[in-house]
Amino acid sequence: MTVTSTVVPSEDLHETLVSTAASKSTDGIVLLATPDEALLTDAFESTLQSLSVPVFGGIFPEIIHDGINTDSGALVVGLSTEPAVTTVEGLSDSDTAFREALDPRLPAKGYETAFVFVDAYSKQIEQFIEALFRTYSVELSVIGGGAGTLGDERMPCLITNDGVIGDAAVIAALHAPTTVGVNHGYREIAGPFRVTDAEGSTLHTLDGRPAFEQYGEVLERHVGGTVTPETFFEVAKSYPFGISRLDGEQLVRDPFAVDDGSMSCFGNVPEGEFLSVLTGDADSLVEATRTAAGHAASGAVVPETLLFFDCISRVLYLEDDFDRELAAVTSHGLPVVGALTIGEIGNDGAGHLDYYNKTAVVGAIGDV
Amino acid sequence: MTDRQQRIQTLYEISLSIGSKRTLAETADDALLGYLQKLNCSVGAIYRHRSTAERVDYETIATIPAIPESNNTLQAAFGALPDANGPIGEQLPISGRSEEGAHFCLFELPGFGVLALGKHGGRVDEITRSALRPLNQKLAEACRSKLIETQHRIERNRFEAVFDAIPEPVVSTVVDDDGIERVKHINTPFEETFGYSAAAAHGRPIGALITPVVTDGSHSDATVDRSDESETFATADGAAEFLARKVAVDGCESDEYIHLYVDISEQKQHQHELERYERLVENLPIGVYRTTPGTDGEFRLVNQGLVDILEAETASDFESVAVSELYVGATERKQFSDLLVEQGSVDGIELELQTLKGNPIWASVTGRAVQENGETVFELALQDVTERKERQQQLAVLNRVLRHNLRNAMNVIKGNTRLLSEAVETGFEPHINAIEQRVESLEQLSNKAGTMRSLFDQGREVTATVEMSSLLAELKADFESSYPEATLVVEAFGPVSVQADVRLKMALDELLDNAVVHNDSLKPVVTVSVSPSTAKSPDRWVDITISDDGPGIPAEEWQTIETGEETPLQHGTGLGLWLVYWTVSLLGGTIELSAVDSGSQVVLTLPRAPTAHSAD
Repeated sequence: MTVTSTVVPSEDLHETLVSTAASKSTDGIVLLATPDEALLTDAFESTLQSLSVPVFGGIFPEIIHDGINTDSGALVVGLSTEPAVTTVEGLSDSDTAFREALDPRLPAKGYETAFVFVDAYSKQIEQFIEALFRTYSVELSVIGGGAGTLGDERMPCLITNDGVIGDAAVIAALHAPTTVGVNHGYREIAGPFRVTDAEGSTLHTLDGRPAFEQYGEVLERHVGGTVTPETFFEVAKSYPFGISRLDGEQLVRDPFAVDDGSMSCFGNVPEGEFLSVLTGDADSLVEATRTAAGHAASGAVVPETLLFFDCISRVLYLEDDFDRELAAVTSHGLPVVGALTIGEIGNDGAGHLDYYNKTAVVGAIGDV
Repeated sequence: MTDRQQRIQTLYEISLSIGSKRTLAETADDALLGYLQKLNCSVGAIYRHRSTAERVDYETIATIPAIPESNNTLQAAFGALPDANGPIGEQLPISGRSEEGAHFCLFELPGFGVLALGKHGGRVDEITRSALRPLNQKLAEACRSKLIETQHRIERNRFEAVFDAIPEPVVSTVVDDDGIERVKHINTPFEETFGYSAAAAHGRPIGALITPVVTDGSHSDATVDRSDESETFATADGAAEFLARKVAVDGCESDEYIHLYVDISEQKQHQHELERYERLVENLPIGVYRTTPGTDGEFRLVNQGLVDILEAETASDFESVAVSELYVGATERKQFSDLLVEQGSVDGIELELQTLKGNPIWASVTGRAVQENGETVFELALQDVTERKERQQQLAVLNRVLRHNLRNAMNVIKGNTRLLSEAVETGFEPHINAIEQRVESLEQLSNKAGTMRSLFDQGREVTATVEMSSLLAELKADFESSYPEATLVVEAFGPVSVQADVRLKMALDELLDNAVVHNDSLKPVVTVSVSPSTAKSPDRWVDITISDDGPGIPAEEWQTIETGEETPLQHGTGLGLWLVYWTVSLLGGTIELSAVDSGSQVVLTLPRAPTAHSAD
């Protein structure tokens, strides 16, 4: 599959989209954009609706193109194969029948890869990812992540031919094969702690004690000071939770807020299961990305382009070292396109499909 | 955390996903997802080991991915399933690889089936496989209990469907802690019959809903099983008679019962009608019975009438008697049977039979051949006509005596009287004339007896019509020729015909003769009129009125005709009026005699023949 990509400022986006769609070699467009008011206008919606090829994508905190991450502009990626795009709305509605919205025969129709983007602030993301796994298992290589902005204001963030929508998921299946690598680089330093009271993504107690009290104790032992709700966010970016899986990297759950002893995480923390406290450093994180990229690039597929979806929190944590992380991906000498996401989705082809936090997902997409 | 700790933790977390869900498929699906999540497996399936009367095989209950046919790992796992006809537990666990190198494991789910787990780029190690056994046991139990629960629910749904489909009132009850049987569920016929909605009936004591109607002072209880006795209960429309059945439901934790109320009011009504009909048939003075066909024939059913006619003691006497034993003639039974089979029915066939005591009787038999349970059966009615037959024989003898012997004797007397009148001296003429007149009268009587026999020989069947103006014109000509001194007045009337034959002319001849012969006037006048009937429907009946100016018909003659029988103290002087009476009766008409101031009047009322004209 041939991939052509361009980063353009929002004022040039209309022209670029139209010209890309008009190209004979383009049968579909991936649009990865950074937050911009222009994307939420009627004019832009008209542009999307007028395109002659399927378009899908999302609005992310930052985008990645050829070894650079940026928080402005939009990345237009032309695909030489036509994607089958499915939009699942009502991603916060527990009554939405996700499995019924998915076409289980996509693999039988020859589709091998699925881009999956979700509204990062929807409440039923795990259930949707679970439905994806139940339906396709590893029959489709899945890569993508959570779209949205880091600000307090919630806005539509998923791009389709119908316009920019929120509280939804977009699945775009391609005939091209992809090998995916998924790693985060965090290691266990304490636990496991049993989740004795939780509700969705809110963790109330661990081993019967208030979650923040238990978490604070662990951090005090490792950081050497008292962790307060005020200092929590600065400290927590280095100490996420982990949900263990046998024979696999722990599933990271990123705590982002504290309220009266309870902690809110990106992603569900099921009651009854066990959490560990993880930590990492720049080296381990970069190494993990290198591993993921290596796994992707060394797969059975002959890669043409690398797709890189990395957690925005890793940028915040790595700061200047994030260049090393990007370099770990670009070192393979292939074009790199992607985004910094709020939650990652990936299936390394070996095991379970999950919704990740603080994780690097690298996909190597090959020819059809 | 050590591997052992992590394994224990993983197994614990898997166990959280095992439990009863809404359906068997959901139970299996959620558990399977738990296995795959925690063991980091990519594909899996749960198969139920199913044994039916037709075959033993595996039924897929849950798979990840949703369509397993396109997944090589699951296909390889499915292909490696142990022979379903053998003890599968002894062959499990099994592990293997797909063509692409993915690893799979098959685990026994004791008493339920097999769990398949597949993994790309790794494998479930042996220690973990062993450690999964108690979880697999738990999953198998969850699936088994869900399966049983599902089967129970299906049975329950089936039961409820039957419950609601029963056309008779049905109620299920449960006995509460106080021993009171309360309504749990009622079907629609119950609502309609007893007038309670399901909501109104629910929870109420059954005895409060079904209230017996006491008709004879005896007490009834709606909650007691009365398998054979019918009860009358109050219904929404009044009351009805029911056959009540009460059945205990086995296997329930509490005492539960099903009450069925079969409304037998209509059947009872039919039964009563049938019993009345049976009594009627039983008490008929004719024999009603069924036999088989054939040379001999067997009695199948006889009524009391046949028992009496054939001088049996009881109906059971006929069980050992062949029908042919009743026949006097050796071949008549076969002839009768063949005729009935051939024609399908017989009407009034007269047979010479003998009773079980050997006494001869004459019987008139009517019946038909019917098919019953694939065989031919005769349904017959037998009337004892012995007395009529003997009377007919007597009449034939008397008729012969009247017409033959008496006339011969009269001829001899007549001839000898003629010789005597020539030989005796004058002065004896009045005596000789008297003898000759009486002889002539006796000859006329003999002729009338012959006429009457011919009347009855023609029977009641009348197929001809008589145009009245023509008939009366003919009678008038004869009358004027026979009685020139008398006058016959035929009053004018329109065209009219009656259903009659030549016998009508004989009757009118007799009446006109009587009107003149018994008239003491020198010039008798007889009047005949024809008009629409005044006593019956004028559209269907015609009155023929004969009036004379004579002394009137003697009262004793009149009375004899009206009562219909002659006695030694009450008899007529001749046959004339009887001839008229019988003729009109045989023609389907009636006769009315009445005295009028100027003489007597006879009105014959006969059926009007269907013509385009009327007598008006």
